[in-house]
Amino acid sequence: MSDKGKIGVYLCGGCGIGEAVDLDGLEQVASGEFKAPVCKKHDYLCGEEGRKMISGDIASGDVDKAVIAACSPRVMSDKFQFGGAQTIRANLREQVVWSHPAGDEDTQMLACDQVRMAITQAVRVSPPEPWKEGDFSSKVLVVGGGFTGMTAAMETSRAGYEVVLVERADQLGGMMREGAKVLAETPPYRELRDTPITALIEEVEADGRISVITGATVAKTSGMPGKFEVELSKGGAETPAETPAETVGAIVVATGWRPYDAGKLGHLGYGASPDVVTGVELDEMLAAGPALRKSDGKAPKAVAFVLCAGSRDPEHLSYCSTVCCGASIRQALQLLQAEPETMTYIVFEELRTPGVAEEHYRAAQEAGVIFIKGKVSGVDSGGGAGLVVTVDDALLGEETPLGGLDMVVLATGMVPNSTNIDAPSPEMDEEKLSALSADIDPEAPISVAGYLQDASDDADDKEDAAKEDAGEGEAAPPTYPEGGSILNLQYRQGPHLPILADGFSDSHYICFPYETRRTGIYACGPLRRPMDLAESALDAAGAALKAIQAIHNVKEGRALHPRSGDLSYPKIGLEICTKCRRCTVECPFGAFDEDENDYPILNPTRCRRCGTCMGACPVRAISFDNYSVEMLTSMAKAVEIPDEMDEKPRILILACQNDAYPALDMAGAAGCQYSAHVRIIPVRCLGSVSILCASDALSAGYDGVILMGCKSGDDYQCHFVKGSALAGVRLSKIEETLKSMMLEKERVSSMEVAISDSASVGKMIDDFVAVIDEIGPNPFKGF
Amino acid sequence: MNVISPQAAPPQASSKYDLGFARWVYANVEGGAKMSLCMQCGVCSGSCPLGDAEMDHGPRKLFMMVRAGMKDAVLGSTTIFNCTSCYNCVVRCPREVPVQYILQSLATKAVAEGYAEAVKTDNTRFSGAFNWSTAKFGRTDERLMTAKYYFSFGLIAAMKMSMANLKIALSMIKRKRMHLGAPHRIKGTGELRAILAKAAEIESSAGGGS
Repeated sequence: MSDKGKIGVYLCGGCGIGEAVDLDGLEQVASGEFKAPVCKKHDYLCGEEGRKMISGDIASGDVDKAVIAACSPRVMSDKFQFGGAQTIRANLREQVVWSHPAGDEDTQMLACDQVRMAITQAVRVSPPEPWKEGDFSSKVLVVGGGFTGMTAAMETSRAGYEVVLVERADQLGGMMREGAKVLAETPPYRELRDTPITALIEEVEADGRISVITGATVAKTSGMPGKFEVELSKGGAETPAETPAETVGAIVVATGWRPYDAGKLGHLGYGASPDVVTGVELDEMLAAGPALRKSDGKAPKAVAFVLCAGSRDPEHLSYCSTVCCGASIRQALQLLQAEPETMTYIVFEELRTPGVAEEHYRAAQEAGVIFIKGKVSGVDSGGGAGLVVTVDDALLGEETPLGGLDMVVLATGMVPNSTNIDAPSPEMDEEKLSALSADIDPEAPISVAGYLQDASDDADDKEDAAKEDAGEGEAAPPTYPEGGSILNLQYRQGPHLPILADGFSDSHYICFPYETRRTGIYACGPLRRPMDLAESALDAAGAALKAIQAIHNVKEGRALHPRSGDLSYPKIGLEICTKCRRCTVECPFGAFDEDENDYPILNPTRCRRCGTCMGACPVRAISFDNYSVEMLTSMAKAVEIPDEMDEKPRILILACQNDAYPALDMAGAAGCQYSAHVRIIPVRCLGSVSILCASDALSAGYDGVILMGCKSGDDYQCHFVKGSALAGVRLSKIEETLKSMMLEKERVSSMEVAISDSASVGKMIDDFVAVIDEIGPNPFKGF
Repeated sequence: MNVISPQAAPPQASSKYDLGFARWVYANVEGGAKMSLCMQCGVCSGSCPLGDAEMDHGPRKLFMMVRAGMKDAVLGSTTIFNCTSCYNCVVRCPREVPVQYILQSLATKAVAEGYAEAVKTDNTRFSGAFNWSTAKFGRTDERLMTAKYYFSFGLIAAMKMSMANLKIALSMIKRKRMHLGAPHRIKGTGELRAILAKAAEIESSAGGGS
């Protein structure tokens, strides 16, 4: 059957494989069943001799696809990299001999099937041709001229790349004021230092590679990484004085933060007295000179700082901004430096002093700042005798009025500038809003085009039932923070950067810092999460490096994080496309646009190669050079399905390469044993699994199918945001198909496996096999 | 740091968290300068072998009361008089605040300010008797010191306490641990008085906190 390429099969006998399975039997599969022109055994394939054997066959032209039946594809990938040939791996070690009894009949059948699947895969793949059409720009656009943006610009410039720095205000600097003080960065962390902003502005303005455009916003961003077309708008919408355009390779967004609206903090006395000010307002005073009372212009003798003003409060900001504690400590120190007799109180519920702020906390204690732990129940003007902050003092254990105060400072939190609040919000339909703001919300419906109608019918039924149970009202529609878009992306999926939580533009705090869910666009600084100066500087450098990396990779047609270096990209068979729009709607990264005839257009460098589009397409019109629905189903069908009488069920596991497949490998490495009736095929992401893979497997005689992916929901671990969640939605559609095939719905299951679940994944499999044993064999066997 | 006249008596706070008293303590109490570093972790109170029955506030809370300007409550608390000087708190304090020194010094200030009379814990009575004996004879006379301590409770209580401990007293006499007759004195009681007088003079002029 192999007419595509010259396949060489190499069987490794090392690491206990040779002792546990009969390699001659495997050779029989390769040479006999599949007529592979070359099939060789070796005791130590990854050694120099073994590799020489393979490269010799390749050099002589006998082989252009090497099937390596040895260890997991996750290891030794460098050793089995041969120029001039594609490498396909059959996992005999971790998933056969290490996880199943040696010399067993079932183990041997599993090993044979691994070889069958790998050879079938080899037949179905061709070497990927990278996409690198047209010209690519090496310029970086930095949006935001504050500390983070300027640092990103400097880092990019120092690395040798040109930068366009766009700032909305008329001058650089952002939230940092000249004349301000910041926490000391060097021991002994006692002397506050001057703001670095003045020097940074000078540096940026003097840099030949950075062109600074102030008083401008981004009017439009179209294109893709390597070729973003950016239109700027200067001087506001009414007077479009000039609209310079730039072509850039990557974008760093550092639009920073603004303080939480203190107007909403009436319960803390804001607005009741001019001497109740926010931390930002106090900083304005301190930068300009001594801090004086707004009411009478006198220096305050007693000042109370109220921390967490509107933070960690479900009514206001639900999160901690991490910097307000340190900033208040700094301000208290500044007040005491100006006048050591000032009575300064810091009222906190929990004091959070990460990094150097802890040392400043000690410095403030030494200087005589009094720290009072407790919840503030009110701030009153005190009727002429000074302001009164009433604290439920946890340290004294009583309600304590803190009277005679001249000034109360509210430490308000950071709100990310994920939108331009000066511009009106763009109109968006719910489908776009949901994708931009609720992708990872476990409660939110996932936009699945084409399914949307019946999906919502189903969902409505379930929701109605749930509502009746819980007595809840209407579910809140998805929302995006108010304001215009920062980049005005001309994307099918809407103008904004998707937000992760609480309005911050990010993709995954821990695994993918700086990555937004728009490829080639990197967020850094307080736009990503609340952070201080030192962290913002690191963030800026990180995002700058990401941008540079993106510029280099897309030029060569290589995928960006997390499938870094992948040369394949989805190809659409437009001749069979039904314009159902599922690929354009479901792509987590907005890689597809639609042309005037509603056909999908791929922007290849926006693509992260997860294959979600491939899994979405109902007519299998989307495939990669080395990855397709056809490849997956052929691999599944290559497995020998024993007769019903043999009582050997077959269960197909489509396992996500990112977490589930490694967990299975690690289970094998730890010696965990699990059923030998399962056949595991790695997939790029569960999002790439078409519902057809499962139904095809069942009609081919498999007794059950497991879709094994990453954790979804709030603390999602999916590398492509919502793969397992999508699989769940698609799976809910398969029930009807199963019903029409007269099959039990229990035969198809989805499992969420984290990389840390290697100890339990074997039991999950065994439990499923037990369920299948209970149900009995698939009646389609043998048809 | 906070420059306040050393002779000044501790000021009374006009309201909670009026820092006048706290600053006076920082400047005038031994170890007070380090007291500002207290972060209220409570290791001192947790390490203290005396419980609620012996102290009306733990050291942690007492320090917060100092900050809150609660002068009467601080100087009138049993905490400062009942401390047994085991030094657990001093050894364990993560901020190296000399808790015991501060309590001791506060107790001295409380005596000087006349708070001790009102407190009248066993410790204040016993300390009074001990000081009386050592100042008068240069050593402790078990019989007279005990008698002075007992009589500080009043005549009837003293009789009861004496009778209850009679057996012990007789045993001590038998074993020459206590003697009858004139109290033993050191040779130079006059010089001792001069030393004590000088110490008092230094203390009043320096205002303690040495």
